[in-house]
Amino acid sequence: MIHLALFLPLVAGVVLMLAPGLGRALALVASGATFVLSLALLVRYPGEGLAYNFQTPLLEPAGVYYAVGLDGASLFLWLAVSLVVLLAVWLCRVPGRFLALALMMETGLLGIFAATDLVLFYVFFEATLIPSLVMLGLFGGKERMKALYTFALFTLAGSLPMLASVLAVRYLGGSPSFLLSDLLAHPLEGSAVGLVFLGFALAFTVKTPLFPLHAWLPSFHAENHSSGLADAMGTLYKVGVFAFFRWAMPLLPQGFAELQGLLLLLAAFTALYGAWVAFAAKDWKRLLAYGGVSHMGLAALGLFSGTQEGMVGALFLLAASMVYTSGLFLFAGMVGERTGGLELNRVGGLAKSAPALSVLGLFLVMAMVGLPGLSGFPGEFLALLGAYKASPWLTLLGFSAVIAAAAYALTAYQSVFHQHETRAARDLEAREQVFAASMVASMLLLGLYPRLFTELLEPAAKQLVLLLGGGS
Amino acid sequence: MMLYLLGGMATVLTLLGFLVPARVSRMLSLATLVAGIAYLARTWGEPASLFGGLYRVDSLAQGFTLVALLGVLWFLLAARSDKFEFPLFGLYAALGMHVMASSNNLVVMLLGLEVFSLPLYLLATWRRDEAGFEAGLKYFLLGALSSAVFIYGIALHFGATGSFEAGTQGQGILFASGLLLVMAALAFKVAMVPFHWWAPDVYQGSPTSVSLLMATAVKAAAFAALLRVLAQENMDVWGLALMLLVALTVLIGNLGALAQNEAKRLLAYSSIAHAGYTALALFSPTGAPAVGFYLLTYLLGTGLAFAVLQQISERDVPYAALRGLIYRKPLLGVALGLALFSLAGLPPLVGFWGKYLVFLEAAKAGQYGLVVLALLTSAVAAYYYLKLFSLVVMQKPAGAPGQDLAATSLDEARLPRLSTSSSARFAIVVATILLVILGLVPGWAFRVFIAG
Repeated sequence: MIHLALFLPLVAGVVLMLAPGLGRALALVASGATFVLSLALLVRYPGEGLAYNFQTPLLEPAGVYYAVGLDGASLFLWLAVSLVVLLAVWLCRVPGRFLALALMMETGLLGIFAATDLVLFYVFFEATLIPSLVMLGLFGGKERMKALYTFALFTLAGSLPMLASVLAVRYLGGSPSFLLSDLLAHPLEGSAVGLVFLGFALAFTVKTPLFPLHAWLPSFHAENHSSGLADAMGTLYKVGVFAFFRWAMPLLPQGFAELQGLLLLLAAFTALYGAWVAFAAKDWKRLLAYGGVSHMGLAALGLFSGTQEGMVGALFLLAASMVYTSGLFLFAGMVGERTGGLELNRVGGLAKSAPALSVLGLFLVMAMVGLPGLSGFPGEFLALLGAYKASPWLTLLGFSAVIAAAAYALTAYQSVFHQHETRAARDLEAREQVFAASMVASMLLLGLYPRLFTELLEPAAKQLVLLLGGGS
Repeated sequence: MMLYLLGGMATVLTLLGFLVPARVSRMLSLATLVAGIAYLARTWGEPASLFGGLYRVDSLAQGFTLVALLGVLWFLLAARSDKFEFPLFGLYAALGMHVMASSNNLVVMLLGLEVFSLPLYLLATWRRDEAGFEAGLKYFLLGALSSAVFIYGIALHFGATGSFEAGTQGQGILFASGLLLVMAALAFKVAMVPFHWWAPDVYQGSPTSVSLLMATAVKAAAFAALLRVLAQENMDVWGLALMLLVALTVLIGNLGALAQNEAKRLLAYSSIAHAGYTALALFSPTGAPAVGFYLLTYLLGTGLAFAVLQQISERDVPYAALRGLIYRKPLLGVALGLALFSLAGLPPLVGFWGKYLVFLEAAKAGQYGLVVLALLTSAVAAYYYLKLFSLVVMQKPAGAPGQDLAATSLDEARLPRLSTSSSARFAIVVATILLVILGLVPGWAFRVFIAG
């Protein structure tokens, strides 16, 4: 079942690439089936540890396996990814090949969370880049080439040194293979650990993203297709927090300890910096891009605190923000489609003519702000709680980012939907209402009953805390 | 025996060529190569020896002969010429490469080297224009010089050890200079910096199908020889020199490629850089399968790129000619796009696994500095491959109707169609499929090189 869920989108994507006429119907069936399968996997999950394990040699003598398995954290993220892809495919009216690329990307993303072999993880991590680049290059805006090179170079400059770390982790530790279990059984010690960790940290920081390696993100979002589909997929591609959690920190606890202070500082600064720049943003995409950066800074702050609450909060925030940030990008696409542009000061008072649209916007913005009862809150709260234990002062910085979020997000919302009405816009169609309803339902579920999911995350976080030396 | 098959058929075809049409001669050359590959597959893993061990087919020889024969086969499938000598020279080259890969004796290696070099000198001039003559002359003069260096190296080697066997242990200044001279001559053939100056001009000036042959099969034969010459026991003699070569090669190869605006020159620099990556595995005692596998993946990637360029022109291919290729000829566009990603080493294409394996071997041998350098330069490489890729896929062909790229379907652009020969199309399709399939299940191909 896990293989079916993993590769169904890829197969559908390839078919759709060759026969774009099949378009939305095929994409919907594939992404819908993937979502149902992820849900089924979650329901049947025993509650602790890695389940659905499978491994077979991929490159035997070099110790590379096709090895996959899911634990609570990865299942939660699977659910978030497959939900977002399904909703995005449902919502967006774009060419068939665009959908095909999104589906191919979905397989890569699911693979990142499911891989239990380090090289396989690397393969998925890198392979996802290709459809993402093509999407930007084929369907992006005027300056797309520049955005494309920036994105590609940041990603590759991060992930190629990581390959050296991948090799080092195995050979300096003396592990017989790249399997997660083998690598954990042969921990790395000595003076090189910090450097090896740095190799991972570079790649994952680009993809978290943390300051100063976030620089690819604004132009990436600004130049992508106005429907928001590519932005939503890009949001899902921000897997850095998970990658730290699953690979870099457990494999190199000592290396993490050496760099913890710096990483915490970067995370807190990122949270604040993102919020600051978002405040000055003039259009939706930049606002959301920097808002997303700020939220990932918060998640990273929780993660790097090394406490159980912090990590649970970080992963929760990651999954929740995947859903609501993607939702916001798609929402911005809807607004842009109606008003003909993404600038914030272009229109005002849309709430009068399009009340349903404005309600959807309100829910999404409030989730981003972290209003209790919606999906943004539990993650932010737990992440900051954990971070407080590690470093109260930096948490204060992070906390001010949360306040700032209220300022920039609400200001933007207010100016577009309230104030003086400058033009009318048509309200949600049936298709968009379904999207809005599912989005709101998912945010309420995560916000009102977070325990359902934090319980999934706890065992893995507890284990990592033990590995890191019992917490701090 | 492979030697008799290739040698005999080459001789027969030389005479027969005057009597039968060129088409028949070409078919016979193709059949010979296919028979050679089939014979190789049938006797896989069975060692053989002739002439008192001077000619020795072991697992190394089989693996590298396979890569070389595939390269020559591809050259024959792609080549367009109405002269019977054109495919025939390919056959002679195949013979020389096989001999070079199948001997541990330095003199026999030299013999093989000359047998495949002479036809290549001739093929380089095939276009009969100024660039072609320049290419041929440059390749010939520098090639002759490298042969002389090789011979001098052999002489010194013999003087120091009393043996013509590659990999004999030895010491002293005499031995070191002999070994290093032999290494330099081989580095010339695989185009490693600083012995690379000929490559861009020659690749650009030769017919594109000949550049394909030079960039792929030749390297297979020369790397087989390098593997035998650079024995682990003598690492203290050649280790530092090779480190320097590799470092310079990956740096200058990749940086040089950045400045190009003609696709064949770009591929020439990229092939220089790839020689550097391949050589990384020479440091490890278990490196031979990784080298073989890398050359196979590189054959698929570079071969595919050259084959596509060759369909566009046997002459220069400026970047502008590639603009929007995928809309003019989807097959060529897709093939070139995948080939470029594979050369850049992005998973899940086969190029990634080749890179991964040679880096793995270098890491095993403790060469972390070189691995990191090679990885960093790979990021540079990704940039120029991506630049070419975006030209092919993400831009409109010049003069195409419409503005919105997203709305263009692949068959809409009304432009003069490119003609492709059916045999070249066949090779391109097969290679593209292999590029993807072997990327997903690399174990299939890698097993070939360890089982031998």
